[in-house]
Amino acid sequence: MSMQDIFALVNGLTVAMSIFLVAAGLTLVFGVLRMLNFAHGGFFMIGAYLTFTFVQSLGSGLTQFLLASLAAGIVVGVIGVICDRLILKRLRHLDESYMLIGTFGLLLVCTGAVKLVWGIDYYSVSPPPEVSGILRFGQVMIPKYSLFIIVMGLVVFFALEFAIHRLWIGKIVQAVANDGWMTGLLGLNVPLLFTGVVVVAFALAGFAGGLLLPNQSLSPELGHAYTLNAFIAVIIGGLGNIRGALLASLILGITESMSAYIVPAMPGIAIYLAMIAILLVRPNGLLHRGVS
Amino acid sequence: MAAARLSVAIWTLAGLVVLASVPLWANPGWTYVAGLILVEGLFCLSWNLLFGFSGIATFGHAAFFALGAYLVGWGLKGGAPFLLLLGGAALLGAVASALVGFVALRRMSGLHLAVLTLALSEVLFIVTGNIHALGGVDGMGSIPRPVIHFGLVEVSLRDSRAYFWFLLLICAALALAMWWLVHSRFGRVLRCIKQDAERAAFIGVNVARYRLAAFVVAGAIAAVAGGLSAPWTQIVTPAAGHWVHSIQAVLNSLLGGVGFFWGPLLGTAIFAGIDLLTRTFAGLSEIVVGGILLMIVLAFPGGVLGFLAAQRSRRQQRNAARAGVPASMVAKEPAE
Repeated sequence: MSMQDIFALVNGLTVAMSIFLVAAGLTLVFGVLRMLNFAHGGFFMIGAYLTFTFVQSLGSGLTQFLLASLAAGIVVGVIGVICDRLILKRLRHLDESYMLIGTFGLLLVCTGAVKLVWGIDYYSVSPPPEVSGILRFGQVMIPKYSLFIIVMGLVVFFALEFAIHRLWIGKIVQAVANDGWMTGLLGLNVPLLFTGVVVVAFALAGFAGGLLLPNQSLSPELGHAYTLNAFIAVIIGGLGNIRGALLASLILGITESMSAYIVPAMPGIAIYLAMIAILLVRPNGLLHRGVS
Repeated sequence: MAAARLSVAIWTLAGLVVLASVPLWANPGWTYVAGLILVEGLFCLSWNLLFGFSGIATFGHAAFFALGAYLVGWGLKGGAPFLLLLGGAALLGAVASALVGFVALRRMSGLHLAVLTLALSEVLFIVTGNIHALGGVDGMGSIPRPVIHFGLVEVSLRDSRAYFWFLLLICAALALAMWWLVHSRFGRVLRCIKQDAERAAFIGVNVARYRLAAFVVAGAIAAVAGGLSAPWTQIVTPAAGHWVHSIQAVLNSLLGGVGFFWGPLLGTAIFAGIDLLTRTFAGLSEIVVGGILLMIVLAFPGGVLGFLAAQRSRRQQRNAARAGVPASMVAKEPAE
């Protein structure tokens, strides 16, 4: 492997993990509520803006940055409760395309709110000093922030895996995802569980927004950009499947970074081509089987 | 029935006359907006042919619009005859949608189809943004308005009034053709498939072929709408094929009412109004549009026309109750 290959691989893993961080919450909501939430990227964006605001008053260390991201996650989670009560609860019983359109309306509201609160200027934030700069392994140079994103993506993945497969609450969530009506008959509070899942997914979106903040310029377009990639990961991975979302994110991220060397003329196109190819072979996604 | 048909004809004619008179009394700015509404309205009508009447939700319809717009824009800059280009746009749209439909419609439906069409349109968006001959990201500007040659006679559309009337003529002809299609046997079969594809197949309808046919017709008409827009705006940018443009068709149609043939056109006009009123306030326009959308989806799934129809039938029932006629005897309003 040449140095360029390793660099492309690390780059691909970074892209993959940033897609996964957004896709995780999206697929979680889909698995349980059967709702593809167009607005997910909008709440991701609100998380990024909130972190931006918090970091400015907290200071620029790694701890402060993580705290700010967590706080953004909590705030977005609270917004999630409100959205669930006011909107998602009512959307749940509608036809798929109406859910998509309704949540797209919510995405527009998010974009509008961000423009009203933070204005339309672009902001950028540099990574905290502990994770900025470059690590050298002999010839190979790897940005520390890339490693940070990869690690955080894995942390989120294993936390979700553990919660869903090893914890009591995870079993209950799986039961609701499989058969909400039956779970209700068994005496579990299904609406409360629905709200809980929405809150966790929204909080994840907000947290991810914070973590990925230093990776890009902050603008009201951010929601749109991330929504699409996360959508694609969720669809390829098999809707509602967190392992599938990770696998799909890895495929997409590595395809994207390799294509930057193979077809540099059309940046961004490889992700879509990969998605179309995979869907034509497996129309229901790579791992198609409820929440797992 | 005959009376209903007559009233439809009268309303259509009245609408056409009012629209045709726009360049005579409105200033050029308003005429320009009216032309945009016509083109976008035709585009939305073609989307709703799929969603409202065939039950196919695509989120990448703008790709066909962009194909037509680029073909006509590029051809006009090269001096090709306009009518030939419009025909070429229809053909290109039909071929492209036949390819997409052939591969996608059989295999998937619902969410997967929505996201796949969105991804395909995004591919076109990226490709058009990277082709230098088509102007790249900045788009293709200074597209000339055409002159049409009919043997010895020349019709110049260089004047914006003349082009507006031409635009109106073609849009009206295509819209009426679609209206006829929706109300023909073909349209009834499509609605039958929308309600229950399995049963339709059971009574001997070739579901795949009908859905594909609807997809091709909608793709061709969207491409013509794009082709008509190129000389009107005189610039074509990759944004014509961006997924946000596809979703705009969804929004317009829902606002007007997807269960009604003319709903998308009404929705386009209302959205144009909202856009004009809110465009100076950054952020406010998104909140207003998003809020309206949520309200429609949650409270008025029939859109503006659905709401009006419900009001009307309620009023009729109230009047009937006052006159002592049982509610079951009051004729229900037809869907269109």
